[in-house]
Amino acid sequence: MNNTPRTLNRILIGILGLKLLFIGLLLVLLATVPAVAPWWHQWSAGVWNGMSQLFRRTTVPGRGESWLWAVIALLLAVVIALMVAWVAQQGKGRSGLIVAEDDAGGFPGNVRIGAGVAEQALRAALAERQDLAGATVATYEIRGEPALKIRLQPRHGVPPHLLAADVSALVEALDAVVGKRIPVLIHIGVGARSRFSRAERVR
Amino acid sequence: MNNATDVRSNGSRAAGNGGSGSAADALAGAGTPDSRGAGMRRILDRETRSSRAGVSGIAAVLVIILCGYGLLEAAVRAIGQPPWLIDPQTAAERIIALPQGMPPLLLGVIGAVTAMAGLFFLLNAVLPGRRARHLLPDPRAGVVVDDEVIASALARRARLAANVTQEQVMVIVSQRQVTVNVRPTSGVPVSENAVLAAVLDELREMAPEPMPEVSVNVATSGVIGA
Repeated sequence: MNNTPRTLNRILIGILGLKLLFIGLLLVLLATVPAVAPWWHQWSAGVWNGMSQLFRRTTVPGRGESWLWAVIALLLAVVIALMVAWVAQQGKGRSGLIVAEDDAGGFPGNVRIGAGVAEQALRAALAERQDLAGATVATYEIRGEPALKIRLQPRHGVPPHLLAADVSALVEALDAVVGKRIPVLIHIGVGARSRFSRAERVR
Repeated sequence: MNNATDVRSNGSRAAGNGGSGSAADALAGAGTPDSRGAGMRRILDRETRSSRAGVSGIAAVLVIILCGYGLLEAAVRAIGQPPWLIDPQTAAERIIALPQGMPPLLLGVIGAVTAMAGLFFLLNAVLPGRRARHLLPDPRAGVVVDDEVIASALARRARLAANVTQEQVMVIVSQRQVTVNVRPTSGVPVSENAVLAAVLDELREMAPEPMPEVSVNVATSGVIGA
């Protein structure tokens, strides 16, 4: 429902997983197969030689250190910043408006209806239901269009299709009030409150 | 608004109890996804799969910790200060000499743990990541239901049909399979067919997508004093 970058998540997790798997397998092979050790010495010593020569060639004239260390530090800082930006992308997409359009006919200006209207109205209508342990309503922006997510936590044994039909009727009443049909998702799930609450005996 | 809402709500409840009529209506509505908004199919697809937000957070924190340490050592080296934990030169030499200088058991365990973590991340990225959820048909809204909710509704229906207590019925709902386990009260026979018919009836009214198959197991040993 939200705008979590799912493909990006998959790609980055996959890259990290492949790297860790490769390193781990290499360590296991080094520990168990004796024949791997000479190959590893040769290969890694070659790589390290190349790198240390590079460090020696790039020393700062006044001091003994290479300026490559500063470049490496900068690159690592950039990677950290990118990781923070990636985490910040998760679960984004909340919106503050359910309607924002110009339908005022000949008059100038826009019509804007805040998300609070739908959220408060639905929450108030659902609050008096005995078969619900909890209900939350949130507005998201899906590809520039507002959409409503209604999360319901019914008590034990409540038939989800009847609950969905009731809430869908509430949504249609909301349509009549707002004057526009926006996409609505009803998620009927279990939370901690409905898991530990008593079963509803009479409906 | 309240008044109108109540009337509509009662009407739909009656239709819902009517059974096949409401299900057929709802299915017809689901056939034309435009009635629920253009992006509804995409929303439902996303809702039934994991976003991997949690795993992404773990991965990002891991990379940040590793890069943070590297950044510290590189910066310390760049300004010519003594290293914090280990000098990059020494670290590289130890890594090159690796099977020596470390007990093979410890090395193997570290490698195995790293490989397992890598496999965890890789599988999370590659597998479809389907959540334990079903879709319900509805003319107006997209409806996603956790399998646990379906299971508890079916368990209630099966309990009423078998005339046993809540603890004697266990229902397991998976993507394409519903398993109902009933332990009868000792001395009171439970009709397997009656339970199956009740659960099938409830499922037909619910019409989850994909529609699972039902199997009922009545335990041979009963419960005493229930």
